[in-house]
Amino acid sequence: MTAPMQTLDAAQAAADAIVERAEARYDAHRQEIFRATDRIFGWLMIGQWIFGIFLAVAVSPYAWEGKVKTIHAHVWIAVILGGLLSALPVYLARKHPGEVLTRHVIAVAQLLWSALLIHLTGGRIETHFHVFGSLAILTFYRDWPVVITGAAVTALNHFFLGVFWPESIYGIANPEWWRFLEHAGWVVFCISFMIIGTRRGQKDMRVMADRSAELEALSENAWRNSSVIDRMTAKAAGT
Amino acid sequence: MTDAMADNNLSPLTGYDRVIVPGANGPRELSRKQFEQLPLRERVGFLIAGTAQFYRMGAAVSATNAMKG
Repeated sequence: MTAPMQTLDAAQAAADAIVERAEARYDAHRQEIFRATDRIFGWLMIGQWIFGIFLAVAVSPYAWEGKVKTIHAHVWIAVILGGLLSALPVYLARKHPGEVLTRHVIAVAQLLWSALLIHLTGGRIETHFHVFGSLAILTFYRDWPVVITGAAVTALNHFFLGVFWPESIYGIANPEWWRFLEHAGWVVFCISFMIIGTRRGQKDMRVMADRSAELEALSENAWRNSSVIDRMTAKAAGT
Repeated sequence: MTDAMADNNLSPLTGYDRVIVPGANGPRELSRKQFEQLPLRERVGFLIAGTAQFYRMGAAVSATNAMKG
C-alpha cells in the first residue's frame, strides 16, 4: 500500500472513531438525563404518597356508619392505592434507571397520581393543575413519547371516570358528556408545545455532540499536519 | 499547511455563512445550514482532511475560527 493510501485510510479510521465517540457522548448525555429524571420521580412518588395520606387525613379522616366512627375509605385508598401506585415506579427508578419502560411506567403512575389526588380532594378543579405540573415535569426526560403516554393516561382517566364516577374527577354528579373533551383539549394544547420543547432539547444535545466531534476533527487535522506527520509520510514514501 | 499558518491570510472573523467542499463533480458551495445538515461523518472527514473552505461575509476564515462562531 502506498503512503498516500495509508494516510487516507488513517484519516477515514480517525473520522470513524470521532463519529463513534460523538455518538457515545450523545448516548451518555441522554442516559444521564433519563437517570437523573428517574431519580427525581422516584422521590416525587414517595412525596406524593405522603402528601396523599396527609390530604386524606386532613380532608376526610373519618366516616360515620350511624353512630359508629370509622376511618374514611379515602385514608385507606391513599395508603394502599397510593402505595401501590408509587411502589413500581420507585422500584424501577432505583433498579432500572434510564430504561424506556421505567420512564413510561413513571409517566403512567404520575398521571394516575393526579387522578388520585383529584379524587381525594373531591374533584376540586384546582387539583387538576397537578396534571399540567406532572406533564411539565415529564418533559425533563426530553423524550416526547413519554409526554404522550402521560397525556393518554389522563385522557382515558377523564373519560372513564367521567362516565362511571364523575364526582371523583369533576366533583359533580352530572357533568356535560363532553366535559372530558374540554379537559383533554387543554392537555393537547399544553403538550403540543411541550413536544416541541422536548424535541428542541434533544436536538440541542445532538448539536453539542456534533460540535465536539467537529472540534476533535480540527484537532486531528492540526495533528496530522504537524511536522512529525510530514516527516513520517516522507519517510514512508521514501522506503 | 497548518491552520495556524493559514491564519495569516485569513479573516480573523469567527463563524461562517458559506463553505466550499469537494464533491464528486467538483467543488460544492453550501450555506451553513446545508453544511450542518450533511452527515456528521462527512463533515468530520472534510475537517480532518482540511478540504473545507469557510467564508464569512465573503472573507475566507480558518476552519478553527469558523467553528468558533
